[in-house]
Amino acid sequence: METEIAEKIEPPASSRADRRIGFSDRALFTLILLALFVGLGVVLVLSAGMGATRIGVREVLGSLFHGDRSQGTDLVILFDIRLPRVLASALVGTALSVAGLLFQGLFRNPMADPYVIGSSGGAALGAGIGLFLLPRFSFLGFGATASMAFIGSVATIALVYWLARIGGRVPVVTLLLAGFAVSTMLSYSTYFLVVLDDNFGLRTRVLASWLTGVIAVPRWTQLEVSGLMIGCGLIFCFPLARRLNTLALGEDYARQVGVQVERTHLAIILAGSLITAAAVSLGGVISFVGLIVPHMARLVLGPDHVRLLPVTAITGAIFLVLADTLARTVLAPSEIPVGLLTAFIGGPFFLYLLRRTRREYAL
Amino acid sequence: MTPLLQFVDVSFSYEQRSVLEGVSFCVEQGECGALIGPNGIGKTTLLRLAAGVLACSRGTVSLAGRAVHTLGRRETARVVALVPQRFEVPFDFTVEQIVEQGRTPYLGLFAGFKRPDRQAVERALGLADVTSLRNRIFNELSGGERQRVKIALGLAQEPRLLLLDEPTQNLDLGRQLELLDSIRALNDEGVTILAAMHDLQLIPGTFSSVLLLEPDQEARKGSPQDILRPEILERAFDCPPRRHPKLVSENQVALEKTS
Repeated sequence: METEIAEKIEPPASSRADRRIGFSDRALFTLILLALFVGLGVVLVLSAGMGATRIGVREVLGSLFHGDRSQGTDLVILFDIRLPRVLASALVGTALSVAGLLFQGLFRNPMADPYVIGSSGGAALGAGIGLFLLPRFSFLGFGATASMAFIGSVATIALVYWLARIGGRVPVVTLLLAGFAVSTMLSYSTYFLVVLDDNFGLRTRVLASWLTGVIAVPRWTQLEVSGLMIGCGLIFCFPLARRLNTLALGEDYARQVGVQVERTHLAIILAGSLITAAAVSLGGVISFVGLIVPHMARLVLGPDHVRLLPVTAITGAIFLVLADTLARTVLAPSEIPVGLLTAFIGGPFFLYLLRRTRREYAL
Repeated sequence: MTPLLQFVDVSFSYEQRSVLEGVSFCVEQGECGALIGPNGIGKTTLLRLAAGVLACSRGTVSLAGRAVHTLGRRETARVVALVPQRFEVPFDFTVEQIVEQGRTPYLGLFAGFKRPDRQAVERALGLADVTSLRNRIFNELSGGERQRVKIALGLAQEPRLLLLDEPTQNLDLGRQLELLDSIRALNDEGVTILAAMHDLQLIPGTFSSVLLLEPDQEARKGSPQDILRPEILERAFDCPPRRHPKLVSENQVALEKTS
């Protein structure tokens, strides 16, 4: 009996071999991260060169590293139009994907996404209120749009979370129904703001583009504010990643091993809302990105949030830069809203996921 | 010697409904105890109180001489581990990834796995006999395998006291006996165990003591021979003897075998 137990305690040779595989597994993960970084760089440069005026890769790189903005129309196009837009797409893609990952962890449900649960809609309504009713409001240097988008997003997630939770669980069916009802109310409330605005001026156009999901050409200051919000959100997320793994085993279990469950939930909601708000103030309501990207990453890496977080952030950026490039070039000189494109790709994908998780429909 | 777990006049109620009333008992270091009682008497609640997940409304729960409410959550989780009855995992975690979560009480927000954590996980996988399953997806395992993984998850906390909530539930006879072997082996290794048991016939031969919760009575603790008696069980479970004619005789056979 004693030898039997001793054998059990001492890991057999095969399991030590597994540990070595674990190391190469880490090396593979580092390699994936590096490849994604390189991929993101390539996509950013190529995308910055594409459009009505084509700019070659060499010119783009030359302008970036030795650029003088006063020379030539191409440089003006590159620095004032293309780069802000491409960087905005990257930021929005990162933000929505990471927010999706966080909300999926929070709800313990792979169907959660900023669009599906209505946090994008809440942020859009908040941003609309900021734009229409509080144009002079400012908080910690953030304008009304960003601050109100954040408040709108936090309030929406808190509401959906409260509505969808049954006995410590958030079943698919209640999540989708609560998200649908709240999103619908929010989007019609945002339309109502358009109706209230009798000038049909610039603000209405901005609001309409938010509702369809269009990444407009932002000012550099807008990019800085959104970049700061997303950066802060991401820094906040990294220590949460390990906690998301523990929370995946259930609130009761997490509480038992010393996780401050309520505090962690609040931290996830705040971080997720901050980055959703930044994404919405740049690109409006862009659907399903937060569903597709974490799911793809999970297929390759498994469900470990510590690894999923950086991979999802970079993949999200690549995904949306590609989607936005397609949206502005495929029917050039016209543009398709990128939200429409992601809905075309994401809608069927969402239905596929729904079908796969159909066993959870039953309450 | 200070008992490892001690309940002194502990009461607990869920809102208006009182579940436990004035429960007192203690579990010594090295014991292998079975917790029994009719449905709804509060076995799971008692285990959750012992693990510090719930706080009692009256009385004191102590772990190694210190009141649980004075210990931090993480500190409690280093002394006691609760293996829950229900355990749903929404994503495709592997067995190893699941068991690694048992190290949470030892990890700070920014700290990664260190050598002692890795060794504790290996030891837990080995003791629960699930090393060969480490790369399998938890949700694809059989009921018996899942139960052993859950025990490994508890062992990864390196607890002095392991609380098991109905560990043999939904297992076939063969897997039940396997699990009892594991419990015995763990106890031989020095892990103190308190397990809520539904099937009384599995108790003799594995558990050294039995704690009985019964309606309107004080908690009663003793050896299996003392507690698993027809007159005691009939009253506690409110069942006439003819409904369970074989229970006592089988217990006696098992007891004779072990003695």
